[in-house]
Amino acid sequence: MPMNSFILQTFNGISYAALLFLLASGFTLTFGLMRIVNMAHGAYYLLGGYIGLSVAKATGNFGFALIAGGVAAALLGFMADKVLIKRAGDNHLSQVLITVGLAYVVGDVTLKIWGGDALKLPVPIWLRGVVELPGGIVYPIFRFFLTVIGVVVALLLWLLYRKTQIGAAIRAGVDDREMVSATGIHVDRLFVIVSALASFLAGFSGVLGGAFLTVYPGAEWEILVFALVVVIVGGLGSLEGAMIGALIVGLLDAYGRWLVPEMSYFVLFGPMAVLLLFRPRGLFGTANMT
Amino acid sequence: MSNPALALTSVSKTFGGVKAVSNVSLQVEPGERRVIIGPNGAGKTSLFHCISGALHTTSGVIKCFGEDITHLAEADRTQRGVGRTFQISSVFADLTVLENIALAVLGIQKKKWNLWTPVKNLNGLRDKANEQLDLVGLPNKENALVKSLSYGERRQLELVLALVNGPRLLLLDEPCAGLSPAERQRLFGIIQKLPRSITMLMIEHDMDIALGLADRVTVLHRGEMILEGSAQEVRINPQVREVYFGQV
Amino acid sequence: MKKTSHIAFVLLVIALILPQLASTYWVTLITQVFIFGMLALSADLLLGNAGLFSLCHAAFFAVAAYATAILQVRYGWVCVWAASAGIFSGTLLGCIYGLSVRTRGVYFILVTLAMGYIIWGVGYRWTALTGGDSGITNVPAPGIGAFQIENANQFYYLVLAVVVIVVFAYQKLVQSPFGLALRGIKSGEPRMHSLGFRPARHLYLAFVTSSFMASLAGVLYVYLNRFVNPVTASLHNNVEAILMAIVGGSGTLLGPFVGAAMVLGLRNWVSTFFEMHLAIMGLVFIAVVIWAPGGVIGQLQRIVERKNSEGQS
Repeated sequence: MPMNSFILQTFNGISYAALLFLLASGFTLTFGLMRIVNMAHGAYYLLGGYIGLSVAKATGNFGFALIAGGVAAALLGFMADKVLIKRAGDNHLSQVLITVGLAYVVGDVTLKIWGGDALKLPVPIWLRGVVELPGGIVYPIFRFFLTVIGVVVALLLWLLYRKTQIGAAIRAGVDDREMVSATGIHVDRLFVIVSALASFLAGFSGVLGGAFLTVYPGAEWEILVFALVVVIVGGLGSLEGAMIGALIVGLLDAYGRWLVPEMSYFVLFGPMAVLLLFRPRGLFGTANMT
Repeated sequence: MSNPALALTSVSKTFGGVKAVSNVSLQVEPGERRVIIGPNGAGKTSLFHCISGALHTTSGVIKCFGEDITHLAEADRTQRGVGRTFQISSVFADLTVLENIALAVLGIQKKKWNLWTPVKNLNGLRDKANEQLDLVGLPNKENALVKSLSYGERRQLELVLALVNGPRLLLLDEPCAGLSPAERQRLFGIIQKLPRSITMLMIEHDMDIALGLADRVTVLHRGEMILEGSAQEVRINPQVREVYFGQV
Repeated sequence: MKKTSHIAFVLLVIALILPQLASTYWVTLITQVFIFGMLALSADLLLGNAGLFSLCHAAFFAVAAYATAILQVRYGWVCVWAASAGIFSGTLLGCIYGLSVRTRGVYFILVTLAMGYIIWGVGYRWTALTGGDSGITNVPAPGIGAFQIENANQFYYLVLAVVVIVVFAYQKLVQSPFGLALRGIKSGEPRMHSLGFRPARHLYLAFVTSSFMASLAGVLYVYLNRFVNPVTASLHNNVEAILMAIVGGSGTLLGPFVGAAMVLGLRNWVSTFFEMHLAIMGLVFIAVVIWAPGGVIGQLQRIVERKNSEGQS
């Protein structure tokens, strides 16, 4: 009996990890490359979820919803970068203040438009329902789908990061920003691309999250905190770190809720705090990221 | 038989694969003026970091007036009378001149834990500050924000911070760097007049200044000590010439 | 210097006569401003002086509030002992969380974020202890022996007294050698080492002191509200604590209180006729970063400075 629960929780953890990775990967690359702490990343997720919801309801097409959610978030991110985040400069304090302000505005606007209830994104029939696994475990198909998407995106990102010229430029930029500008690569354009990709993924993950967790006011903060833990554990600026970190966080969250529901947050945040005290750069981050 | 002011025995510092300081041994007698010269990248500042405690040595022993300070933290070495200036100006730009000096004075005192008395009311602080400021030629500047001082004035303040507690061992890292000839003369003049109760090590690029002040000169190249001798000996040594002017 | 003590005197006089002139609604609101202003001030001890941006100060606030409430409501402790235990609990947490001063910059922000979340999580999930979502209710009014606080005005004066004492002590602390050391650490930590300081020790003491202040505010809060729930320790509250200080003016004495007044005023007043008060607050934050980085007090100071230099030329 416990074995089945264990497998079930492991799947839960892995599927949640997929969602977290989608959100965290953007955050970690944005910070690693541009040293920007963007607390509105959760708001991009939220906006993506709500836009995706409306598009799914209007067109009945989940694929359109995914794209629409991503694009909406990317547009918001692009505008935010140009108009707001630029003004905060290198000052982390100002960045936090201005992006929290943006997140508050987005939160209230979406509340006004879509209301306060938790809304579930309509999902195509072939993704609904459950699948039966050996051992009598019954598992939602959507969670498998989510995991597959997570793995595919992770692979694509990894290929982009490790095997393309753009990826090389990003890695160089994470390592040493000034060096990259000196080599003549258009750093501004690189920033725009990475930032757009990050916000697209955030919106995209919002649509996915909306389908099995629902979209609701406050979701942007809950998911942001988890994404932050992923990024901290994995190491600010590291893509591989975001992958491993997401797995660790997803699994710890699932096991924690199952075994010690009253202390599940402690199980998650305790080790993270301790890790930060003794190894601030996380598992895969490089030193000196302040 | 009194102890040397500073005794380095086989001191090395390695970063990754690079040996910034390689097996350096030297002895400085109390009251001596020792100048360290060498081309860029010779390891002079790294050596100073090892002596002051800003960096931990990879190997070797450092003794100050007979006491082994190799494993002491930087703050503890300052408590024992090591004073230092930095090549790149490191005064507190956001604070006033008086606050800068106050921090230097408080650094070695228990009073730094005082939670109550306003700093400007501390006994004797303003007198001490003004005395030092007059000495280096910055009178009436105590309430100025360091941000508003010229570069030359900041270098003068830098010297005050190192001197105000009467250190036994003073490490000066290119104190006159970036100054105009007149400023350089003035600052150098002050340094020359410092009492022999302060043992002095100075990194200097300008050969004339170095050789004018020094009792002895140590030459570093690529982290190693290649020569040590009187100013005259070093000046005419062909190896030194090659290191500075020949291939590196 | 003389001008600021004149202003302080005037403010004090206004504060003293306020309850005689204003309705209970306003008296309660100002009491809230004092309490949250103290919370913001506690966070600003670290930010304005040492440059450390903490996102966990509402945790001390909440722990103190919960401890006081639980001891009084569930175990029947008297106010004086419950309140003292509350302050002690919050400060004890501060002694543990103070280890976070081993980190700097963005890492400090993230560690404190995590630490704050732990407390929220415990408040939310450990239902047996904290009452979960509902929290602890029916906290009685504060009092010592026969002397009980019976109305909003009396409580207002109690809080005002505490605030005056705290602000006075804070001012002394900030102007002392210890305060200067914190500013030295912010301005040039490596140089502090070479001057003979051990920054970590100063930062730790500053952290514990700030947790004490936040705990004090938390105890007053639970007596004002008569209940406490996990929202008190939420991320939102943690963020607001420090943002109040920034909006009002970080590094100043009045800034955190002005910021608290703005945020609470927005929430209570604006929300009566306009429902998107969080969006308005968000716009205020954005405006502060772009146009008034020194916060309200910072802007006022700049205006005064400009007038002064104009007067001289």
